[in-house]
Amino acid sequence: MLIIPKFMKHFNLLFFSLLILGLAACKDDPAATEGTVTIHFKAVYDEEPLQMFNTHPFENGESLEFTHLSMIISDMELLRQGSAELLDEVEIVNLTFDNITSAEAGYTLTISGVPTGTYDGIRFGIGVPIDVNAQKPADFPSSNPLSNTAYYWTPWSSYIFMKTEGRLDTLGNGPLDLGFALHTGSDALYRILEANIPLIIQDGLETNLDIVIDYKKVLQGVDIKANPQNHSPDDISTITTIVNNLSIAFSLVL
Amino acid sequence: MEMGLQLHTLRNSGVILALLIGLVSCHDSIDGPQIPAGDLTDIPYNPVPYIVDVPADFPALEQPFDNPMTVDGILLGRKLFYDPLLSIDSSISCSSCHQPSLSFSDGLALSQGVNGITRRGSLNLINVGFHYSGLFWDGRAKTLEELALIPIEDPIEMGESWDSVELKLRTHNGYPADFRKAFGVENVSMVDRYLAAKAIAQFLRTLVSGQNSRYDRYLRGEILLEENEINGYLMFFNIDPSLPDAQCGHCHNAPLLATNDYFNNGLQESPDLFSFPDPGLGAITGIAGHNGFFKPPTLRNLVFTAPYMHDGSLKTLEEVVDHYASGGKNSPNKSSFMFNLVLSESQKSDILAFLHTLTDSTTLTNPAYQSPF
Repeated sequence: MLIIPKFMKHFNLLFFSLLILGLAACKDDPAATEGTVTIHFKAVYDEEPLQMFNTHPFENGESLEFTHLSMIISDMELLRQGSAELLDEVEIVNLTFDNITSAEAGYTLTISGVPTGTYDGIRFGIGVPIDVNAQKPADFPSSNPLSNTAYYWTPWSSYIFMKTEGRLDTLGNGPLDLGFALHTGSDALYRILEANIPLIIQDGLETNLDIVIDYKKVLQGVDIKANPQNHSPDDISTITTIVNNLSIAFSLVL
Repeated sequence: MEMGLQLHTLRNSGVILALLIGLVSCHDSIDGPQIPAGDLTDIPYNPVPYIVDVPADFPALEQPFDNPMTVDGILLGRKLFYDPLLSIDSSISCSSCHQPSLSFSDGLALSQGVNGITRRGSLNLINVGFHYSGLFWDGRAKTLEELALIPIEDPIEMGESWDSVELKLRTHNGYPADFRKAFGVENVSMVDRYLAAKAIAQFLRTLVSGQNSRYDRYLRGEILLEENEINGYLMFFNIDPSLPDAQCGHCHNAPLLATNDYFNNGLQESPDLFSFPDPGLGAITGIAGHNGFFKPPTLRNLVFTAPYMHDGSLKTLEEVVDHYASGGKNSPNKSSFMFNLVLSESQKSDILAFLHTLTDSTTLTNPAYQSPF
């Protein structure tokens, strides 16, 4: 049971912890042939619910607060015996909550009409694949999340795959003196995460799944003070670190 | 309340009826067919679809399925946009705060309504039809049709009631025919606020600029920009890593030079999320994290839209650049793009030079955008 970055084989495979708590079944309808999958995306920091605009300890005595956290999730699929059932083509998951209650609730994605059966796992991309990234917001109707120009960076001709923004107390003395905006993007930094876990979709029932993102792990090894932004296409080391952290930062709870 | 409303309606109907009796008597002969009061069906309804010339790379100009643009719909919308009849004392129209010569803004820090000064400045309406994530500074209208309904009943802006405007339109000597041509209404009683708003929305969707500025022509390879303009362009969008990132492109992305998002751009000081003088988007969504957030307006034609910001607090473009270069005032949810940019005076000047390339003065004089009166 692991999430594997599928982009290139020479990258290390990183494991994540998976906790199976059991399936949540709400009701029974023998006539139904499809079920519902409800996915809750939740942000945590060092395994505690993450609240925007609150200070968290970072590295080297620094502390930080987050002001915006979001990502594009694409091609979310359930896997079964070599085939895939598409759940959602593209979604902007915005985790920018201003109070602890909403942070706990997370961003919810509900997909109905999912064929019943036992699935082997789930897969989704962080960002958009190459063929989609060759397009731009103007190519999509306003109803499509990819029409959002706030998630497109023209100089790179790329969608912004993931936004991690906030402010850093570089001296560890209180004032948050440095803004940071770490945006991943570009074809080379598209990542597909996959978890090989048993998922049972039953007739007329709702299956709940939590996808938890630990932002302390997202930023592991990132020197924010030295690289608070990443706008240079010649230097993608910081955001490469971030996308390589995704497999340890994401975990699933059934 | 209900009694009052009924009485009001009855009184209005009486006025309409009296007028229509006269109208019908002019049209009808003794032996002719009986024409229902307020009938408009003798006026031809031949809607001609209108196709907007959308610049390359722009998003599609989407129209609600129930409000497709037509030539007569746009003409009616333009007429309503410029008609002070929509205000309570017939002193101001939509165009009072959105003047074509000022790229549909008004040159004031805070706009002037019939009952005083409004709380925010007037927004440039160029390319407003391409904004699909909320309208006004705080995003309180989802569509242009919704937007067009709001200022009329704002007590400060136009101070009128739609009930009254509907009466004025139905009893007007020209508007019923205009509504017939635009929407095919069969009777004056069908003229209402929603059709008026649809017509205004159609006109607003025609306000397009994206082909004639020097910036657009440069992108198409038709002209060269000056060196300082190029430097400004490279810093604006952070294209050249050897130059400072002016951080502009995050909120003013191409091609609209705006984005779908809302931001706290450091204009207001606030120690917490709840003390902003103007909460902006937060007052609409009820989300504290949105307090102090405002819509980034298009920068196209911004040389005509001074003073700047939702409160008109920055008088010149120089002040605007200085504001962003300084990082602005502090608040918990200030955009992470707002910090001291450490730009030299020369670099600021280059950014200003680039901002001037966004000027398309042809939109100011486009005959289709001018008052029909």
